Order: sequence, then structure tokens, then C-alpha cells
Amino acid sequence: MNDTNTPFAHRPDPELGDALRAALTPTGHAAFVARVLAAAHRPADPLVDVLARWSRLGIAAALIAAMIATVIASRGDRAAAESAVGGADPEAVVAGVQAPEAGVLFAASVDR
Amino acid sequence: MMATDPVPPPGPAPPAHPAQRTDAGARTAEGVDEATLAGRARAGDRAAFGELVRRYADQARRVARAVLRDPEDADDAAQDAFLSALVKLQQYDPSRPFGPWLMRIVANAATDRRRRRRVRRAETLDEGLLAGGHRPDEVAEREVLGERLRQALAELPERRRMAVVLFDVEGYSHAEIGGILGMPEGTVRSEVFHARRRLRALLAEWRDGG
Repeated sequence: MNDTNTPFAHRPDPELGDALRAALTPTGHAAFVARVLAAAHRPADPLVDVLARWSRLGIAAALIAAMIATVIASRGDRAAAESAVGGADPEAVVAGVQAPEAGVLFAASVDR
Repeated sequence: MMATDPVPPPGPAPPAHPAQRTDAGARTAEGVDEATLAGRARAGDRAAFGELVRRYADQARRVARAVLRDPEDADDAAQDAFLSALVKLQQYDPSRPFGPWLMRIVANAATDRRRRRRVRRAETLDEGLLAGGHRPDEVAEREVLGERLRQALAELPERRRMAVVLFDVEGYSHAEIGGILGMPEGTVRSEVFHARRRLRALLAEWRDGG
């Protein structure tokens, strides 16, 4: 029994290591290195392209924000109106207001 | 039982074992240590980054392949890791070994890719090879053993796979592997022990005539 057969072993097992290395080492070392370096040194996108991408995203975000703001604002207006008329339907209150009679208006203007 | 018929490693020269490994501060044949190379790469020196990639390419690809059985997936993950390392070089502490720092990025890249990738069509294994059919030439026999080992590795839990490869193939210490995989040293020892037990059984079976 060698000392690599226990959980306390602190040395690599050369036979197993060699076998695993042979099983896992792929071919094409130089091609892989070249591929990584080509990717690493690929020129960055031109500034215009980056800005264009950002602007498209910005416009989309602004549209979504505007829609959300519109919904929130319309809900807020309705809530404010309801509180002003004591919880009644604001549309009903507005529709229920009677126009003043012509005589009253005339008397008021004569008094002045 | 120990080996009487060691398997010769084909392909590229095997990486250095712990005693030979180039950690930060260690001099290489080119006379440039990895901390210096990392510093130069951080400053935009392409040649320095290229040298780091050359030194660690095989190791990174093996570790990625321990996670991703598909060699192309593994290479993609290894490439992602190198590019990520290039971006994160500012975070590298030159007083510490470069290898474990890079391998942590490789392990994360491989794990992320495995999680993200679609379920691919099951890899078709050569049934003849798996059934233990012998071929006359030694190269073919090594191919059979390699496929069996990869299959056995694939059946192990992911962290166990990475632990045994980092320990027995790449020569990292239990403590370093703990740092790479984010687990206690004792857990690393346990994972390596269990992985070895399975893989050694396969090797023994192979030696006995598979």
C-alpha cells in the first residue's frame, strides 16, 4: 500500500496523473494559443457603434419609462380628484353641476 | 497495488509537477517570472500575455475538460477564462502564485459554461472501445484507456473531477485547490481520495486485461 491511498496523502499519484493527463490533454496547443491571442487583441468596436448601441437601448428604455410614467400619472390624477370630492366619482360630480340661470347672472352684473 | 506498467503520456510535454511548477517569483527558462509577466500584461504588453497563455494553455484546457466533456466546449471555456483573466489582471496579487489564481477563473468559466449551455445530444461513445475491445497497437490501447478514464471522470461529481485533476495532474496542493474551488482543505482531500478510488479501480482493471 502506498501513501497515496489514504485521504491524508499529500503527494500526487504519478501513474494516475500520467493517465489522466494523457486522457485530457488535447491536441493543437499552438492553434489554441493563437486563437486566444487573436481574441484578446481583436480591436474594440468603434466608438460610433458603441454609441449607436447605447442610443438604441436608451430610446427603448425612455419609451418604457414614459409609458410607465403616463400610467402612474393618470392613476395619480384620478386619486387626487376622488379625494377632492370626498370619495365620489369625479366624473359624476362634474357632470352633475348645473349651469347658473340667466336671470341670476343678469342681476349680478346689474348690481355692479 | 501499484503500477508496473505506467502509461506513457502522449502528445505535448506534460506540465511541471509541484517541484518544477513555476509559481510567482520562480524563474523560468526565459528568465521572466509570472508575476512580472502579469504586470507587463496588465500594462498592455501583448507578448507578456502571450507567454502566460502559452504556459497555461494545456493546463487550462485540461481543467476545463474535466468539467466539460466536449473538447470544443472546454476550449471555449478556457479561452473565456484567459480573456477574463486579462480583464481582471488588476485584481491579481503578484505576491501570490499565478497558477491557482488563473485556475480559479478557469474552473468558474467551465462551470458557468456547463450551466448555460443547452443540453446537447448525448455524446456518442465508441461502444467497441467501452466494451473493452483491444486493438493491436499501443496507441489505440491508450486511446481506449483515455476514453474510459474520461467516461469515469464524467461520472464523478464535478468538484471531485476538478479536485483530482488539479491534484494528480496539475500538481496543486490541497490548500491551493481549496482556494481554487472554494472549499475547505479537508473536503478537497476527501474528494481526491474518492475520485482516486474510482479511477484507480479502472486502471487496475485495465492492467489486468480490461
